[in-house]
Amino acid sequence: MANTPWAQILLFSIQTGSVYLLSAVALTLTYGLSKFPNFAHAEFMTLGAYTGFFIANLLHLPLPLTVLVCILCAFLVSGSLGLMSYKIIFGPLLRRGSSLIHLMIGSMALGFIIRYVIIEIWPGGTQSFTLPWPEASNIGPFRIYIPWILPIAAALVAGVSMQLLLTRTNIGRAIRATASNPQLAMASGINTGRVLLTTWFLSAGLAGMAGLFIGMKASFSPTMGWNILLSVFAVTVLGGIGSFYGAIAAAFIIGLAENVGVVILAQFGLASDYRTAISFVILIVVLLIKPEGLTRLFKGN
Amino acid sequence: MTYGLLMNLLDMVVMIGIYSIAAISLNLEYGFTGLSNFGKVAFFMVGAYTYAILAQAGVNFGVCMVASAVSAAAFGFLVSLPALRLREDYLAIVTLTSGEILRTIIQNQGIGGGYNGISITQIFHFQTLMAIRLANIGLAFAFLGICFIFSQLVANSPYGRIMRAIREDQTAAQSYGKNIQRYKSQVFIMGSAIAGIGGALFAQYSAHIEPGSFLPFLTFTIWMMVMLGGPGNNLGVILGAAVVQIFQKSAAILKDYVHLPVDPINVQYILFGILIILVLFYRPSGLLKESPVKPPKLKEPVNV
Repeated sequence: MANTPWAQILLFSIQTGSVYLLSAVALTLTYGLSKFPNFAHAEFMTLGAYTGFFIANLLHLPLPLTVLVCILCAFLVSGSLGLMSYKIIFGPLLRRGSSLIHLMIGSMALGFIIRYVIIEIWPGGTQSFTLPWPEASNIGPFRIYIPWILPIAAALVAGVSMQLLLTRTNIGRAIRATASNPQLAMASGINTGRVLLTTWFLSAGLAGMAGLFIGMKASFSPTMGWNILLSVFAVTVLGGIGSFYGAIAAAFIIGLAENVGVVILAQFGLASDYRTAISFVILIVVLLIKPEGLTRLFKGN
Repeated sequence: MTYGLLMNLLDMVVMIGIYSIAAISLNLEYGFTGLSNFGKVAFFMVGAYTYAILAQAGVNFGVCMVASAVSAAAFGFLVSLPALRLREDYLAIVTLTSGEILRTIIQNQGIGGGYNGISITQIFHFQTLMAIRLANIGLAFAFLGICFIFSQLVANSPYGRIMRAIREDQTAAQSYGKNIQRYKSQVFIMGSAIAGIGGALFAQYSAHIEPGSFLPFLTFTIWMMVMLGGPGNNLGVILGAAVVQIFQKSAAILKDYVHLPVDPINVQYILFGILIILVLFYRPSGLLKESPVKPPKLKEPVNV
């Protein structure tokens, strides 16, 4: 334990937390408004990575510009798919009064459709970006590598913009109104249908961005989104479903728990595959002791 | 080629029998009681591994089967402790994750050979493949028959009416003084035991199992069988299992014999997804609707 690079683990925790933040803030938005966990969220993430990969191979621009275009495309492509999936599948199902279980099954079905379309387009399993990143360098106690820092910056930007969107704009107020009381929102003249479409677009778009950053950091495969979906669920539940600030706090808690937990597990000779088990244990404990998550801590959001 | 096709056909019939058992187990939980078990594959896996490890140690077939059912039931009980108090969506997430964690443990702790899996000697040692497959069909359908009759008896008993009451309205069931937690837990244990039997038969027939055989897609396949066939109807879910299996095997056969520009296996998964969404839209009660409860006939009134 003496030689454990704690500073670096902290950096990795923040980085993991940032990716979870992007993905969980997105998931909690649709979960809170449409009242069901969207399992296709995993594939929205995966699609983001593949979209970025496709664009990066297509373009021959300077690195910063390529990265920006990749992020934008991942956001737009995943976002559009999220919008369409609400318009074509979940919206009509919700209007028909489908049960919670039917909606979950439907979202799983959608996830499989997207996943196997991705496999059909990009066969051959694992892929990785071939962007000319600058070499990793040491700054103080940290080892810095651009793909590690990108999600942190993106989470910061996305978090602040979401905060501004939710509190300062009309659509943001409409989203919060619809989340807290759909009937009342509708009665006060808010077009809740459009609000829901917007949240699905934003949610899937942010998921696509999260997926892109995971993909850029290392290799990725068609099951990439699925592999982190359970952690994202843990974050969402710990944060309290539908709670924006809760999801942000929970993302860093789970990020830290997983990264520190893996180091501790390694002391007992356990593989890093147990990473998900750590968030699972947190998930179970939260559900049993405090099913409303951290919501109470952030009253009034 | 015809011989190969015939063998594929027999293989399909065996798998229909095995998956029907899994579908019946999910039907008890979801179809009758409304429990969203999204980790069905985990209970199937517990049965399969128990069977495989015991069979490899030379334990006799009957004991292996009982042990598989019991260990799956025990795992079901364990999962039911924290899970069943939760809402459907949380239950789905918790059961799904339990399955994934269990698979991680089996892979990393070297249980049953870890990543490489474990080989099992089949119980039938006939000369021809045809005889072995036919014997397996008999075995799978014998167990399917037992599970079917058991499930029918449970569903049509007063107990089954409580299960339906919990599905329709928990609060109402509770207000009639039913301890719904206990009923849910019992249904979960029964469902897990049946899934364990299915898993054991799967291991016996496959002759080799590995963690990769028990991916979440299997859970989704079983859900598809139930949703398509008709939740709450045991004959329906068997029909659903048959339809889904025929689909899957046809895709596999197509891949072997015909060259297509797209991979039929991928197309099959995509079609499955579309199919299940269509079922949710246009036929949420499945192919066969839930059969009404059959109470025992009242005795003839005695004329004085």
